[in-house]
Amino acid sequence: MGSLDSYLPILILFVLALAFAGLSIFASKLLAPKRPTSAKEAPYECGIVPTEGPPQRFPVRFYLIAMIFVIFDIEIIFLFPWAVVYNELGRFGLVEIVVFAAAVFFSFLYLLANGALDWGPVKRIRPVTAAAQRTTSSTVRRVGAGSGEAA
Amino acid sequence: MIGSAHLAGVVGARLVAASGITIPHIDYTAILPELILLGGMLLLLAAAALSPRPLPTEAYATATVGLATASLVTSLVLWRDVTDRGPLTTVAHSIDVDGFALFFLVTISCILVVAPMLGAGYLRRERISGPEYYVLALISGSGAMFMASANDLVLVFLGLEILSIPLYVLAGLDHRREASGEAAMKYFVLGAFSSAIFVYGIALTYGATGSTNLAEIGAFLARNVVTSDGVLIGGLGLLLVGFAFKVAAVPFHMWTPDVYQGAPTPATGFMAAMAKAGGFAALLRVFVSTFPSLRSSWQPVVFVLAALTLLVGAVVAVVQSDVKRMLSYSSINHAGFVLLGLQAATARGVAGSLYYVFTYGLVVLGSFAVVSLVGGSGEDRHDLARFRGLGRRQPVIATAFAVLLLAQAGAPFTTGFFAKLYVVEAAAAAHSYLLAAIAMGSAAIAAFFYLRVVFLMFSDAGAAAPAGEGATARAVEAARPAGIEPAGAAGGSWVPEPSGAVATMVAPVTRSAAADARSVSSGVVALDVSGEPPVATSPWILAGLGICVAVTVVFGVWPQPLVEFAHQATLLF
Amino acid sequence: MSVHASWYLTLAALLFTIGAVGLLVRRNVLVMFMCIELMLNAANLTFVTFARALNDIGGQVAVFFVLVVAAAEVVVGLGIIVAIFRRKVGATADDAHLLKG
Repeated sequence: MGSLDSYLPILILFVLALAFAGLSIFASKLLAPKRPTSAKEAPYECGIVPTEGPPQRFPVRFYLIAMIFVIFDIEIIFLFPWAVVYNELGRFGLVEIVVFAAAVFFSFLYLLANGALDWGPVKRIRPVTAAAQRTTSSTVRRVGAGSGEAA
Repeated sequence: MIGSAHLAGVVGARLVAASGITIPHIDYTAILPELILLGGMLLLLAAAALSPRPLPTEAYATATVGLATASLVTSLVLWRDVTDRGPLTTVAHSIDVDGFALFFLVTISCILVVAPMLGAGYLRRERISGPEYYVLALISGSGAMFMASANDLVLVFLGLEILSIPLYVLAGLDHRREASGEAAMKYFVLGAFSSAIFVYGIALTYGATGSTNLAEIGAFLARNVVTSDGVLIGGLGLLLVGFAFKVAAVPFHMWTPDVYQGAPTPATGFMAAMAKAGGFAALLRVFVSTFPSLRSSWQPVVFVLAALTLLVGAVVAVVQSDVKRMLSYSSINHAGFVLLGLQAATARGVAGSLYYVFTYGLVVLGSFAVVSLVGGSGEDRHDLARFRGLGRRQPVIATAFAVLLLAQAGAPFTTGFFAKLYVVEAAAAAHSYLLAAIAMGSAAIAAFFYLRVVFLMFSDAGAAAPAGEGATARAVEAARPAGIEPAGAAGGSWVPEPSGAVATMVAPVTRSAAADARSVSSGVVALDVSGEPPVATSPWILAGLGICVAVTVVFGVWPQPLVEFAHQATLLF
Repeated sequence: MSVHASWYLTLAALLFTIGAVGLLVRRNVLVMFMCIELMLNAANLTFVTFARALNDIGGQVAVFFVLVVAAAEVVVGLGIIVAIFRRKVGATADDAHLLKG
């Protein structure tokens, strides 16, 4: 059971963190005065009173960036083992990792050329035909506007 | 869960060594075909990204054909090398370039030579620009090549994914069409499901045998008599399920018709050819060469799979009225024939399967190319009726399609005949008489729907057309005074029941005219079709189609070289 | 402290089954993706357990590849989903019913 001892500090830290979080919530409930007004209960948005709810669907661009991030992020997984044994692999390892990085870089070039990383107004190298009925009012749904619920 | 008795026996192949890393020797010439495809793909991508103006789709097609030809030549050079000096093993024994692998490398290269030709015309017609189709095809091809030459289950998995992921995207390439996106999603969900099953199968096999390397697994099984090891049998079963999904064997075929129908038609042809080439390459290698000692466990399962695949594919195809869907079911039927060779598990069976995969690849590419031509722009008209009288309107294309369909049916003087002959013969030689009988029965059923299309194309609709038009016109004229909507007469199937005194008087006329129209319904359809835009061919598609038909006929009349090739390939296995 | 390998394998088998059943019964495409991830991670757990039991590094290396492939797969899947459901509300597999017969 010797190996368990080394985890003891982590366990203590875990318990402490839980206790602190629980105590804080409990203390603020106990001590803070509660005088709610309608202004206080409104969602906070830079001090400006919100006139309508936030759009339920985000622009596709957010998802695109997230997906691109995931792909490039996970490629790092191959760099870690390489970095650990870098010295032993020598020139062979260097060449292989450069080839690997180059392959990833080419796809990055492709992304850049397709404007996947551009914010702001969309400018594309290739013309994209969009359906005519796609407007901001048809693709961005406002809270309370539709009866159906997005899954 | 794990029997500790055999665990102890296998430790030692690759111990966790604290000191020193042996750098694997990589023979780059042995994997040159794959490297050409992947390197060329990257250059194509870079060229597309860096060129100031969008390049025409034909430029990408030319580059892809060039790359595929280079890979074909390299494979043939490697083939000569391997026949002279024996198989090459490289990258720490995880890649085995033997005759078997090279046969598939040649097959895959041939598919890659033809596919861009058939795709170029389609992409131009549908106004899909960009290098994506070609880049994805190249990646997919390299994945199939890795599957064929993989000697390690992890590499088989990687190859499977490199093959499949581009195919998911290819299915959804035409993202303006809703059906295409839906096909991509269905393919993706079921493909990912099958990959997960496959990986779990690898994990269990690894646990039971102590290695993912096929040679080491084979050695382990030779050393140890495994009679009832749940983990190994479970792993093997999961591997089989994963492969069965990929090659669309019944009952794991549910995705096939939908995906094949929804995907852009050239992508469908490519998918059918490539996924079957890669899938069967790995399936045959893993099961026949690595697990022969467990044959008594997997052979009955493959028997059932093959029988179901043969029958369901043929029977369901008969009732399809959509040609694209019919061809998807027929591709399931073909998978059953290839499984026949696996079930036999003899050198003869494997050679038959190899031959079948090669011939099927080119035949299916060509068939779907014709479907894409006849379907017209927008890709939503794949009705059987569209093919009526094609022989008159487009004699060249109709003849090509007839040859390809006859090859699929297994008619003599086409490659399809020998392909079916060899696998059935192998099954009979392996005493699977029942399966051989089922195969021949399903071939007879399948011949019905292939020949139906051929007869439709060459039925003398041309001669009947004027009369038919006249009849329809009479029916329309007769219906009009009575205020009857003549929609049914034009369809040739349904006439609205007239009402009222005037209508009753006209009714007999309408009925007889409609019957007249129905009796020469070919003419009605010809009238229907004449309103559609004509079949727009392009030199690219004609060239691709020409290659498919030429190979089908030449090796059908003179099969010796290809048979010899397949036979040699199994010897160096 | 050591837990016997069979516990890990049982857990992995359970996770795999949950993933497989979830994929077949759930209708939300994103949940279906999660189920696929669950299945792949169950395979990873099996790999690591066997690698530990066999004292062989091969299983751990396999996990690397499975992880990367899973990420690539999910990104492609999400791309397809985004492409389809840009014009629709909600991501339900039953909405995609154009192809049948």
